[in-house]
Amino acid sequence: MKKTFWIITAIAVIFGAALLGCLRFFRTPRVNTVYIRSGGELIYTIDLSEAEDCEFDIEYNGGVNTIEIKDHMIHVKEADCPDGICIKTGWIGGQKGAAPIVCLPNRLVIEPADDTSDGRTR
Amino acid sequence: MDKKRLTQMGLLTCIALIIFVVEMQIPLPVPVPGMKLGLANIVTVYAVYRYTPKEAALILAARIILGSIFSGNPSALIFSISGGILCLSGMIFLKRFIDKKHIYLSSIIGAVLHNIGQVSAAAAVTGTMSVFAYLPVLTVSGCIAGLFTGICAQIAVNRIGVK
Amino acid sequence: MIILKKAAVLFGISLLSLLCGCKASEEPCAKKDLFAMDTYMTMTAYGENAEAALDKVSNEITALEKLFSVTDTNSDIGRINSSCGQPIEISADTADIITRSENLSELTNGAIDITVYTLVKEWGFTTGSYAVPLQNRINELLEYVDHSQISISDNKITIPENYQLDLGSVAKGYAGEKAAEILKEEGVSSAILNLGGNVQTIGEKPDGTPWRVAVTDPFSPSDTICTLSVRDKAVVTSGNYQRYFVSEDGKKYCHIIDPETGYPVDNGLASVTVTGDSGTYCDGLSTALFVMGEEKAIEFWRQHRDFDMLIITEDSRIIVTEILSENIEFADNAPSLQTEVIN
Repeated sequence: MKKTFWIITAIAVIFGAALLGCLRFFRTPRVNTVYIRSGGELIYTIDLSEAEDCEFDIEYNGGVNTIEIKDHMIHVKEADCPDGICIKTGWIGGQKGAAPIVCLPNRLVIEPADDTSDGRTR
Repeated sequence: MDKKRLTQMGLLTCIALIIFVVEMQIPLPVPVPGMKLGLANIVTVYAVYRYTPKEAALILAARIILGSIFSGNPSALIFSISGGILCLSGMIFLKRFIDKKHIYLSSIIGAVLHNIGQVSAAAAVTGTMSVFAYLPVLTVSGCIAGLFTGICAQIAVNRIGVK
Repeated sequence: MIILKKAAVLFGISLLSLLCGCKASEEPCAKKDLFAMDTYMTMTAYGENAEAALDKVSNEITALEKLFSVTDTNSDIGRINSSCGQPIEISADTADIITRSENLSELTNGAIDITVYTLVKEWGFTTGSYAVPLQNRINELLEYVDHSQISISDNKITIPENYQLDLGSVAKGYAGEKAAEILKEEGVSSAILNLGGNVQTIGEKPDGTPWRVAVTDPFSPSDTICTLSVRDKAVVTSGNYQRYFVSEDGKKYCHIIDPETGYPVDNGLASVTVTGDSGTYCDGLSTALFVMGEEKAIEFWRQHRDFDMLIITEDSRIIVTEILSENIEFADNAPSLQTEVIN
C-alpha cells in the first residue's frame, strides 16, 4: 500500500509538471527567425521579418514538403507524409507558434530560432 | 515454449494489430507529432503481467514491426521501437513494485516512458533539441491515455483466467 | 470501483500540484507595443499595476518624442534649430537631457557631441541621399560643431547661428531611464523595455532570475552573438552595421560621425555595448566609446569604472570588462571569437 502511494504521488507530480510545461508551451513569444533542418542538417536560416512571400520544396529520401512563406510567416503547405501533421501544425512567425513544425516521416523541422533572451540590443 | 502458449501469444499479437489498425482511423483533436491513444498498449500491459518478459517483448516487437508495415509508414518504425523498448523495460521493472491490483499505474508510467523514448529518437534523428518542446504535451496526453489503457488492461487481467 | 476511486485521488493530487506550481510563477503580465522615436518599441511589465504603468510609460515616451523630434519644427529641438542665435524657452525635460549630454561631452572629451547633426545631414544620413562631401565642405561645417557653444540656464537655451542639435544619440536612453522611474513609482518591480535596440531592464524577472539580453552579431545582424544576464540595468549598443552606405569607390561609411574629423567612424570597431545604471549615460557612452576606438575606450573604462562594456572589433576580437565576462553566454552558432577580459 505504501509503495502504491509513492508511485501515485510520483505520477501526480510528473503530470502536474507536464501541465505546467504545457502552459509555457502555449504562451507564444515573438518569432522572427526560423531554422529549417532536414535530416538533422541545418539547411536554411530565414529572417521572416525580411523574407519575401515565396514557396519552395524540401526533399528528403524521396519525401517532399512544400514550404510557403507569406506575410512574414512560414508553414508547410503540402506534404506527402502519411499523417500530414506538419501541415496541420500551422503557421510560425510573429506572435504565432512557439513550437516547432515537425514532419517526422520526412525528417523535417522548422523551429523558431528566437532564443531564450528577453530583449535584444543593437 | 509449448504450443498452447505460442498460440495465445499469436492471438494476442493479432488482437494488438487489429486495435492498432482501428486506432489509426481515429482522428486526433490536436496535431502534435507522436500523440496518440496507444490502445494497442492494452495488450502489452496485459502481456507484461501474464507472460514472461521475453514473451511480452516478442509480442510487442511483432506488433511494432507488422504495425509499421500495415500503416504504410515504415519511417515511423524507429520512433515506435525506441518508445516501445523504454516503455516495456520500464513496465517490466515496475512489475516488482506494482501488484496486479494497480496495473493502471504501471500503464501510465509506461505511456510516459514511451513518449520520452519517441521524442528522444526524434531529437536524435532530426538533430534538433527543440522537439523536446512537445514533451510536456505528450506527457499529459500520455498520462490520460495510459490511465485509460491501464484500466482496460486491469479489467482484462482480472477477468481472463490463465492456467 | 476501487480503481475509479484511485483515479479520482490521482486527479486531485495532480490538480493540487499544478496549483502550487502556478502560485510561484503566475504574476500578471502586461505587454505594449509602440512606434515612437523612429523605431519599434516593445515593453513587458509584471505585477498588479503593470497595465496602467505601461500606459503611463507610453504616454511619457510619446510626449518626449514631441519634444525631441528633429524633424518636427514645433518640437523643442526643431525650434532651437531654427532659432538663429536667439534664446529659446524649452521644457524641463529638454533642458535636462541637453545638460546631461553636455556633461557627457565634457567627460568624453567631445567624443559625443549633439551639435554634430550638421555633418550627419551633409553625409545624407537623415535623408538617405548619401554622398561623400568634399573636404572643404567638411572643414567649413566643422566650424559649427562644438558642444561648448551651447549655453543653457533656467530652461532657456541659446545656440549660435548655423548650429544644429540632434538628440538621437541619447534620446532613447533618456526615454528608457524616465520609463524606469515611472514604472518604479507605479510599484512595478519587474519589467523589460526594448526601445529599438536600447534595452532598459527594471529589477529582475518574476522568477528571480536575471533578464537575458541578446547582443546582435555585427557580422550577421539577424543573429545573436552572445547573451548578457543583467538585473536593473540599461543595455545599449552602438555599431557600424545598422545604418551605413557604400560609396562609389566601394568604401563603407557608417552613420556615426566623429565630431573631431567630421568623417564617419572607421577605427576597427564593429560594435560597443554598454551596460549601466543610467540609460542616458549608457546610450551616450556607447556612441562616445565607439568614436574613441579600442585603446581610448579601455582607458576611459579604467578611469571611470561606473559601467561595463563589451567591444567587438572588425577583426573578430571581443573585449569585455571583468564583471560582464561572468554574465555572458555565447550563442551556439556564433563564430569563434578571441575574447579578452579587461580589469
